[in-house]
Amino acid sequence: MSVMDTITAEVTINAPAERVFAALTDPEKRVKWWGREGRFKATHMESDLRPEGKWLMRGIGVGGTPFTVHGVYRQIQRPRVLVFTWLPSWQENAVETLVRFDLEEKDGITAVRVTHSGLTTETLRKQHSGWPELLTSLRTSMEPREQD
Amino acid sequence: MVTDSSARSQAIFRALADPTRRQILGLLRQGPRAVGEIAGNFRTSRPAISKHLRLLKSAGLVIAHQRGTASICELNAQPLKTVNTWLRDYEGFWKDTLRDLKQYVEEDR
Repeated sequence: MSVMDTITAEVTINAPAERVFAALTDPEKRVKWWGREGRFKATHMESDLRPEGKWLMRGIGVGGTPFTVHGVYRQIQRPRVLVFTWLPSWQENAVETLVRFDLEEKDGITAVRVTHSGLTTETLRKQHSGWPELLTSLRTSMEPREQD
Repeated sequence: MVTDSSARSQAIFRALADPTRRQILGLLRQGPRAVGEIAGNFRTSRPAISKHLRLLKSAGLVIAHQRGTASICELNAQPLKTVNTWLRDYEGFWKDTLRDLKQYVEEDR
């Protein structure tokens, strides 16, 4: 997958994977931790935790603007894998992208990796296989100018 | 939070959203081309290609200049910085989210 198209972030949590999975998928738990006042604070979540089940999260964004983000669950392997689509309200002409959480537990400690893909549009990649390569090479050709 | 409201970045995303336009950019990567030359690579009609080029120009991805009677198009990859910035915003967003998740789970015993 192309660098341009995908973002990953990782964290190690001193707790079993099941607790992390529950924090991600249980609406009551999720609104307790997702975001902070004044930044991106979740206030409401709906979650139909099954393949193709819908989820929705509402909250207050920067400057008090309400936001909604929603999608469907694509893959659920409790407590190791959670994949869902992501469609935000705050971006005009937003396209559906894919968020994947991988939880790897060892000795009661869980390595969490989130992968957000399709950011320069998932559908396009399907239509045109050369797309990520094009973007990568365009970016490469652009980089020397950043030294200016 | 991730915001992307500027008309400029919308124009870039819109410009990149079409396979023909991406193919045009791919072609221009190999070097500047006259409009007729570009159109010759596609089955699409010349007016349609001109329309795609107009969109690419308005997004700043293509720069055109006259050479005699021919209009020569050149790739300008600089606006793709916007795409990079947008991705970096999301990077920060997920980093913050994972930090909040960690704090919650580790305290919730």
